[in-house]
Amino acid sequence: MSNANNECVSETLGDYVLVRLRGEVDLSWSQQVRRAILDALGASGKVGVELSQVSYIDSSGIAALVEGFQSARGKGQQFGLVAVSQAVLAVLQLARLDRVFPIFPDIETARIG
Amino acid sequence: MNAPPLAAAGAPERRALGFLADLSQSLALSLDLRQTLALAVPRIADFMQAEAASLFLLDPAGTLECRICVGPVDITGLKLAVGQGVVGRAVAENATQIVRDARSDARVNASVDAETGFVTRSILCAPLSTAQGAIGALEVINRRDGGLFDADDAEILRVIAAPAALAIHNVQLAHGLIEQQRIKRELDLARKIQKSMLPKRRRGGFPLIGVNLPAHEISGDFYDYFDLADGRLAFVIGDVSGKGLDAAFLMVRVASLLHWAGKHAPAPAAWLAEVNEELCKTLQEGRFVCAVVGQYDHASRSVTFASAGFPPALLHDGGHFEELPADGPPLGILAEAQYAERRIDLDARALYLFSDGATDVRDAARNTLGSEGLRGLIARHAALAPEPRLRALLGDLKRMRLVDDTTLLLLQEPCGQSAHTLLELKFPARPEQMRQVRASLRTALDSEEVAPELRDKLVLAVDEACTNIIRHAYCGGEGETIALHLAREQDMLVFELRDEAPAVDPARLKKRDLSECKPGGLGVAFIDALMDDWKLEPLASGKGNILRMRKRLIGVGEAE
Repeated sequence: MSNANNECVSETLGDYVLVRLRGEVDLSWSQQVRRAILDALGASGKVGVELSQVSYIDSSGIAALVEGFQSARGKGQQFGLVAVSQAVLAVLQLARLDRVFPIFPDIETARIG
Repeated sequence: MNAPPLAAAGAPERRALGFLADLSQSLALSLDLRQTLALAVPRIADFMQAEAASLFLLDPAGTLECRICVGPVDITGLKLAVGQGVVGRAVAENATQIVRDARSDARVNASVDAETGFVTRSILCAPLSTAQGAIGALEVINRRDGGLFDADDAEILRVIAAPAALAIHNVQLAHGLIEQQRIKRELDLARKIQKSMLPKRRRGGFPLIGVNLPAHEISGDFYDYFDLADGRLAFVIGDVSGKGLDAAFLMVRVASLLHWAGKHAPAPAAWLAEVNEELCKTLQEGRFVCAVVGQYDHASRSVTFASAGFPPALLHDGGHFEELPADGPPLGILAEAQYAERRIDLDARALYLFSDGATDVRDAARNTLGSEGLRGLIARHAALAPEPRLRALLGDLKRMRLVDDTTLLLLQEPCGQSAHTLLELKFPARPEQMRQVRASLRTALDSEEVAPELRDKLVLAVDEACTNIIRHAYCGGEGETIALHLAREQDMLVFELRDEAPAVDPARLKKRDLSECKPGGLGVAFIDALMDDWKLEPLASGKGNILRMRKRLIGVGEAE
């Protein structure tokens, strides 16, 4: 990880894998985020990306989320964004993706799907 | 009319139809009424076998006037009131009149016969009817065979009057239209002449800006500014009482008078007094002019001015307003009026002079804006440089309903208007650098009080531009740099990114459609959506590119 404030941790909660992101998601480590999401989708049919602690995301970070979403949809898997921060939501809106992703307020709701 | 059906029509009916067709056609040929009617009326007299025939038309004043006349007595030019005589009655009632025995009929105006010796025996008169009522009447007098006009004759005259009425009405409409266009052309010309009297906008740190919004084609308001020999700047703003053409003409005169009287830099109070005396001699009763005249000294940044009944001037320091009321009555009322004047150290403050049109604008609920409302608008745009501020103010006023001519004059020393650099950075073209670049950008934008939402979007756009340079221009190579320059030019933020990569073909940069969902290509689309405009220029040397992106700030802490 390029910066101490950035973090990408995957947690397994039963049959659900939650990828927790923290910090500023940008080109310097968005490839790691992309890998983590695709790995999670390889391990489980239900994946969420938790974004409440993400203060910035650029187009490469958004691209990692879109790739996860498209991969899951292709295989009939469940994929959603959880607890999206205002900063991330603003960029999703700008990219007109705020209505494309399933967005859940918290992990409990996300697991129900 | 109980006329027989056409197939069964006899010779007289066929003759009438033929005549009617010829008459209609000849009337439709030309827009020259005098000529076509002069030919038509004698033909009508012949057809009706009448000794005399005349055509009366209503003038705009509502009087009937004989325009065409054939017969032994010329009554062309004879005027009748609507309701007067047989003709007047035909028009008043919009109904055909038959007078079988003129000598015993009260409707008949006997004065013409008495004067001329002509003996009127029998009269028929049909109104010239239109959808808007009668516009005149067609009258025939005395059958040539000595008989009396009957109901059939009356019906025939009514039928003949119809195409005549139509033709005359058409011509009148056409003339009305031509007249309207002529007046519009002249008003356009008048507006252009008036506009050309306003001083040209001066650039390059000039401290005075004026705008004039006429409520109609032409304005009774004016403003002026001009250089004095001693280096000071003279200015004038005025509002002539009343609206429309007469106010506009008076405005031209008063504006010239004020300009002429102010040329030799008189003290503002004396300046007003001189013009007032002149206007009192010549202004028509009830007319007056509200005006402010003054001089601005650029060196001391002080302004001296006097107001003749003009709405209170507003002095604004960015936070607090001070109202400066008039120093005397409007010009043109009291010949002996005295005016006071005041001197103000303006420094960086703004002095607003506005005609009452600015406070009389109405909102959707028809409430007037008032002085309080105008101050609110000024405060809202206070962070803008003078020119964009006045433009923004004008935009607000235009969105409401103007009920009077509106003129604004803003006097303010334009300090800090030119471009100043907010941030200058040169950094290695590597993704790990971007976090620090973003932090520096945020700080710089915060110092300009850019709202957080807009700030974050601008940071995103710059970040996307940088990562595009890193990925696509430098292709991820090492040891390269990017230079970022952020400047503020009045209300505009200008972002400039320079790289030393091989020249990029701007045509290759295509933003993708945001409505498709795919992982790549979002960067340019973000820049395009977030900036007002942007331009990529490869340097002529073939090495290096400059990307310029601009964003206009709408107001303090206000995003679009």
